[in-house]
Amino acid sequence: MTEVPARVAWLTDALMAPVADEVAPAAWAQLRDELVRDLRALGAELPDGERLQVDAFKVRLAQRHPDRCISIDDTFTPSPRTCRRAVGVAAVNRCVRGHSPNPAVAVAAVLAEGLEDAAVADRSGAVRAPWWARWYAGLPDGGRAVVRAEAVTWATQLLTSVDWQQVPRPVIGGRDDWWQCPAGTPIVFKGRADVRALVDRRPALLVVGTGCCPADWRVELGYPGLVAALCREARVSPCRVVGVWPQSGQIRILPIDAAALRATATAVVAGVATWVDSRIEKERATRDSVSGALSVSVDGALA
Amino acid sequence: MASVLARDGLLRRLRGDGVSRPVIDPGLAGGLRDWLEDGLVESVAALPTGADVVRVNKDSLNRVLLCEAHLVAGRRAPRVVTAELARGSLVDALFRQWVTTGVIDDPWADAVASFDVDGDRDGVVAFVSGLPEAHRCRLAAEVAEHAANLVERWPAPSPAWLPRTQERVEVPLCGGRVVLAGVVDLVLGSPAHDRASVCLVELKSGTRRLEHRPDLHFYALLEALRSGAAPFRIATYYSGTGELDAEPVDEDTLVRALARVLDGAIRLCRLTAGVEPERRPNNLCAWCVGLPGCAPGQKRAGTDVALVSSGHGGREGALS
Repeated sequence: MTEVPARVAWLTDALMAPVADEVAPAAWAQLRDELVRDLRALGAELPDGERLQVDAFKVRLAQRHPDRCISIDDTFTPSPRTCRRAVGVAAVNRCVRGHSPNPAVAVAAVLAEGLEDAAVADRSGAVRAPWWARWYAGLPDGGRAVVRAEAVTWATQLLTSVDWQQVPRPVIGGRDDWWQCPAGTPIVFKGRADVRALVDRRPALLVVGTGCCPADWRVELGYPGLVAALCREARVSPCRVVGVWPQSGQIRILPIDAAALRATATAVVAGVATWVDSRIEKERATRDSVSGALSVSVDGALA
Repeated sequence: MASVLARDGLLRRLRGDGVSRPVIDPGLAGGLRDWLEDGLVESVAALPTGADVVRVNKDSLNRVLLCEAHLVAGRRAPRVVTAELARGSLVDALFRQWVTTGVIDDPWADAVASFDVDGDRDGVVAFVSGLPEAHRCRLAAEVAEHAANLVERWPAPSPAWLPRTQERVEVPLCGGRVVLAGVVDLVLGSPAHDRASVCLVELKSGTRRLEHRPDLHFYALLEALRSGAAPFRIATYYSGTGELDAEPVDEDTLVRALARVLDGAIRLCRLTAGVEPERRPNNLCAWCVGLPGCAPGQKRAGTDVALVSSGHGGREGALS
């Protein structure tokens, strides 16, 4: 048996602990119906043609800095920080499966494969390159080194946080959970977990946070749990979400019971409302500026 | 003791060969945290509702312990990038590249590219782009010299040692109202099980100074609080000269660091609470941006015009 640091053993035990609570299917169905009802009402207020994609970042932003929602540009910009997780989980996956001996070697392999895939995808389209690969391929050596260094640090933190031998068949990275609000409501939830393990046939999620554990960590952990639950039947919904903040060494555990799901759903609906308001404001501001520009131009033409 | 070391010697010093690594005291980190929080409780209670988080990093700690008025004046003044700061940042980037990839082909292009891709938050690229050609060439030559020293003297660490660069460490105290924070240039070693197993390295491109030691002790304390195990070794590497200051970490090191952090954190809390900063004239008063409004500082410096330590004009210019 391998000896591991106490806090690694503790986190792993917490992740893999037997399931204590089950969410009653009737309670879950009611909660889900209420959530759908609230979201449909909010979705109806969105400007015509708008679609709101909600992720953990948006929920956090709406909760902590609602004033900033209006100025956020949805355009995604790749950077070493935005792609360290994507490269990092692939690297940890390689290490856990025994394909690479350590994060540095694994990250180098993942990046090299990304470059190959990007080259093939450019030529033939037969391969789908990871989203970061084309951007990474276009970087000079100094830029690539930063991407690699960030990913190595991130991957090392995740790899050394868990006693992987105690986690049978973990899904590291894996696909995001997507949930489309029914009845044509233009609201989509995206949930992400860094590791998924099976405990008594129910998923236990592990999420890696940045910096210190925030005061509203229950929402931060509850959100991926809620989205994963929405995508599944009650009996196979997640049993818990474990959060680890390697930079501060903090660990939090959120059992996904009816109370946690309800509290998260309430916070998420409030966040969606903030985003809907900001979209309405934005659309109004755009309309006003266009009509203002038109009137100036008409006035100018008349003058 | 510092000396210019060949690669093997440097590795031996970092590993602390021949020295037994300390056994981890599982209660030490918790005790240190309690000590800090007990010491801060009154200062935190005096913070106004809604006050910003008090962030304690090596820079704010050094400044506030030197002179509270100096810290406050520096925060009010626009951030100035100097040639020395730019060189330090560029060499840090190259060190990171060297440790991660083992290759530095074009030091200047590589270092500048690293800031370009990462958003140039500190304005380093903007600063070097704005330098006159001759100054930029001189800076580039300095950076190239440091890079050559690194390649020649610094061993690319084995990936098995889990080297990670620019590792951010944050320790929230008192419910997150005070956060101790640092970014360690290089961390080696896997998390400790029963004996300390982590080594922290700071890179300095400037002159070797005694004042760099407390920075390392601060990082050792951060690592102990974060991971529950202190590092077994801390080291400062001077890329210009190849000198390595390495020292073991024991309980005394951590307790001394804690006393210093507590003193600084209490002062930072007081300033956040709006208390008038204490003025402590010192040998850096002549360079303080607050000098024009500081009578004790003017008396100490013998002038009311602050010196500028950058290569950009001022009364003293390193590159001019």
